[in-house]
Amino acid sequence: MQSTRVAILGVDVGGTFTDAVLLDGAQVRTAKVPTAARQEESVLAAARAVGATGVTRFAHGTTVVTNALLERSGARTAFVSNAGFEHLLQLRRQTRAHLYRLCEEQPQPLVPLERCHGVHGRLGPDGELEPLDLDTLPDLGDAEAVAVCLLFAFRDGSHERLVAEELRRRHPGVHVVASHEVAPEFREYERASTTVADAYLAPVAARYLRALAEGSHAAELPEPLVMLSSGGVASVAEAAAHPAAILVSGPAAGVVGAGLVARHAGFADAIAFDMGGTSTDVCLLPGGRAARVAERAVGGFPIRLPTVDVHTVGAGGGSLARRDAGGAIRVGPQSAGAHPGPACYGEGGGATVTDANLLLDRLPPELPGGLVLDRDAAARALGDLDPGAVVDVVNAEMLRALRVVSVERGHDPRDFALVAFGGAGPLHACALAEELGIEAVLVPEAAGVLSALGLVAGDERRDRVVSYVRPLAEVRDLPPDGEADLRYRGQSFELTVPLQDDLAAAFHRAHEERYGYADAEREIELVAVRSADVTPGPDVALHVTNRHKVEGPCLLELPGATCWVPDGWHGETSDDGTLVLTR
Amino acid sequence: MNVELQVIGSALRAVADEMGAVLIRSAFSANIKERRDCSTAVFDEAGRMVAQAEHIPVHLGAMPDAVAAAMSLCLSPGEICILNDPYTGGTHLPDVTLVSRTALGFAVSRAHHADVGGMEPASLPAFSRELYQEGLIIPPTHLTDEVVRLFVANARNPDERRGDLRAQIAAHRLAERRIDELCERRGRERVSAAMAELYAYSERMVRAAIERLPDGRWEAEDVVEAVEGELAIRAAVEVDGDEIRIDFAGTAPQHPGNLNCPLAVTRSACYFVVRCLTEPDLPASGGAFEPVTVTAPERCLVNASPPAAVVAGNTETSSRIVDVVFRAFGEYAQGQGTMNNVALGNDRFTYYETIGGGQGACADADGPSAVHVAMSNTLSTPVEALELSYPVRVERWQLRQGSGGAGAHRGGDGVVRELRVLEDCRLSVLAERRARAPRGAAGGGDGAPGRTLVNGDEQPAKVTRQLRAGDVVRIETPGGGGYGRREPMT
Repeated sequence: MQSTRVAILGVDVGGTFTDAVLLDGAQVRTAKVPTAARQEESVLAAARAVGATGVTRFAHGTTVVTNALLERSGARTAFVSNAGFEHLLQLRRQTRAHLYRLCEEQPQPLVPLERCHGVHGRLGPDGELEPLDLDTLPDLGDAEAVAVCLLFAFRDGSHERLVAEELRRRHPGVHVVASHEVAPEFREYERASTTVADAYLAPVAARYLRALAEGSHAAELPEPLVMLSSGGVASVAEAAAHPAAILVSGPAAGVVGAGLVARHAGFADAIAFDMGGTSTDVCLLPGGRAARVAERAVGGFPIRLPTVDVHTVGAGGGSLARRDAGGAIRVGPQSAGAHPGPACYGEGGGATVTDANLLLDRLPPELPGGLVLDRDAAARALGDLDPGAVVDVVNAEMLRALRVVSVERGHDPRDFALVAFGGAGPLHACALAEELGIEAVLVPEAAGVLSALGLVAGDERRDRVVSYVRPLAEVRDLPPDGEADLRYRGQSFELTVPLQDDLAAAFHRAHEERYGYADAEREIELVAVRSADVTPGPDVALHVTNRHKVEGPCLLELPGATCWVPDGWHGETSDDGTLVLTR
Repeated sequence: MNVELQVIGSALRAVADEMGAVLIRSAFSANIKERRDCSTAVFDEAGRMVAQAEHIPVHLGAMPDAVAAAMSLCLSPGEICILNDPYTGGTHLPDVTLVSRTALGFAVSRAHHADVGGMEPASLPAFSRELYQEGLIIPPTHLTDEVVRLFVANARNPDERRGDLRAQIAAHRLAERRIDELCERRGRERVSAAMAELYAYSERMVRAAIERLPDGRWEAEDVVEAVEGELAIRAAVEVDGDEIRIDFAGTAPQHPGNLNCPLAVTRSACYFVVRCLTEPDLPASGGAFEPVTVTAPERCLVNASPPAAVVAGNTETSSRIVDVVFRAFGEYAQGQGTMNNVALGNDRFTYYETIGGGQGACADADGPSAVHVAMSNTLSTPVEALELSYPVRVERWQLRQGSGGAGAHRGGDGVVRELRVLEDCRLSVLAERRARAPRGAAGGGDGAPGRTLVNGDEQPAKVTRQLRAGDVVRIETPGGGGYGRREPMT
């Protein structure tokens, strides 16, 4: 077999740092640079820092569109729906933001009322009720992007297609998106919300990705692939066309990296546990692949696109701890942030989980970067708060998140390995594993840059969804591979079952497992079929650079993270660089 | 607080949440699955509520009565009690409550079923005069296959009822399993202690918050729009140290219509206001209500006795009780003050929805538009879901712009919703704030009152009538009151 040199580059942009991993033959190199205001510059700087030359594949995770959504810096966007339904975005699903804070604000819709329009014409569940009248389509003024979402377009896109064509003809420079092109799924608000986010972000994504592609070309790097929320990668052109699909790019990359580590360490089923400074992401990886959901809220807006099933908790190492009026210890959601940071950083910060860990001797007196931790400041900040109790309380939050993705999804966590990463993940993982009955904790050598590693290994993926909403018994010609969303006729939530010969029997079984009963008499409805064209990512080999053999209780310093090995735990580094801890 | 107990408490709350998720995701009627008109809770051995998954506030304070009623059956572990009798643990007949015994205490689920029989489809008759007309009355009863058969035989859509009941039962089986696991891992005594601590903790928190309110006694009054005329609700609120007493002396006697409330519903409405004013972020637990005493004269509108009809008390009178109690506490702009209940049905289908409107403005913020304002927080049914499942077409669903009251902070706008029925069927609308507008506060303007129209003809606040295929029902929901005088433009 002829051997060609393969050099794969992954660059992940985070809020504070941009991480690069270069896989060059048998060598793994990593680099970290501060994230600049213009993300494309950080990406290229990280590539230079890691010494990327002769790169054959370059994959990228970005927060550009996520930031644009949260900071409201997307395009001036208009919205077109059926006449009489112009206010879909303002009506939402009619729930208030907080049950008992009556004036709590919902996030303002991305399109203001004056740019929401209606067009005459209507489709119903069984076809056209009123012909489309394009003459009623109003002038869109100075909009830079338009989202079109008409009722029942998930089933019949004809009216939307005509409206979109007309808008593209009238406004050649304006980016037009129709809901059936992005998320052809039932429930108009969720579909409209997704379409609007897609249109709102498209000009931002196009500008950024164009600049990145040009910069990559100048730096003699291949055109980048972009990590999708679904955990696969796509071309720059595909990502720019539908940026709503890259809103969860960063966490998806981390999850793919965790899956890679688990598979290499010989564990089929794993749970990714990424505990950072302000929040923690957990995700189930049955068979080493991320579980996916059909919808996720981002910035308060439902996004109906396949997304890795990451459950996020607003607590991490930097979360502030306090005692409330009822005498309970509360941790988070407020955080000390990067500045002033935990009290032990000596910058006047408050009592955090990190301070508690320091007082419990689970952090070294000096961090790898050279920062000497101030034990007295930590003790003063915690005052009469017992550090062990603070850790117990934050662990309870983590446990709840881990149970949501495992037990509540019908999986027994005892069958899974816990992959711990992020700055604080390896500090807390063993205690959580004990609570859940998990036997093995995996701490990857690249714990600090696991997302970039996930990028290196990502599959190329194009997700497709076809809506049915009709009895399963009437449906013929299903694709050979993919997943079906099924429910008993009359239910509103679907269970996802892999396509197979006896789909009905598989659904009854899944319902029994999830809800404790099945009803063979009831008609089953097929809501949608999701499939994806997948080109597997490169077969990445990991190699060990530092071997460790540990016996708890002890501390182990890793690049970018500290691992706490409690009493009763022991382990050693495997040949692919992962520390495998067991009891 | 002992940290181990705090950790177990977090697990107990997770049990209630997971019960709610199972119920919603496996239910069949739009009202539960799309609108989440349901709640689930975990109770201790003494029948005290320790954790509740809150979806709508009207279930908040009314569940302990259900457990007290069920305890009379001496349930064994695994056994389930069913009830809906408003006078023994229920609220109104469509709210069907299950109570089951777990290894330690009780699990409870309450779900609004779309039909429980009675004189009109969807069991929300506008003109019921006694409880018997509102559906099948179930006192606390062991849930057996026979009882399920009896129950579904009395409902207009038996298949859907059976499905919803199975979803409720699934939630209980889950709770039993989870409490078993928790007791096994932590030990029964520790779990029991954690339950007591959850209860005591919320009591301490709320007492501390009440202590911060000024002491005093205030009164307020408002009315509901009954078929026979306006009926007064009068409340006197007294803050005394770390306790609150709310008394309804002077309220109209129970009436021959269906705006009557059992005391459990009245308590829920009062607890709601106390929650908003004290500790809105506190996880729900019965201890929060220990410092609150609610009293009302016998056989009055807010403390009704059998066989008074009650179906609108739960949604409409409860909304007004909230308005009155808030008003007694001070300058609070009123929200839409109704849930705009719309029920459609014939012998082939029953459909029920409630429609959001304007929230009253707050002292520091505009009132949100198009939301449920007090005792409900149900979701809207998506237009596509409605049209796929029922012979109904939505002709219009928009903000009712300009319906919120003016002010330094504007009241929220109501909505306009038009439903065209595609088959002959019965219509019931139970609504309020059709005659009197939601009031503004501190100089803010009133919200616009609501309107109900059939084919363009205005209807009374409460209506039950026949519709022909093609008829259009239009609901314009009230706007919220504004807060403060608007500053002149400079």
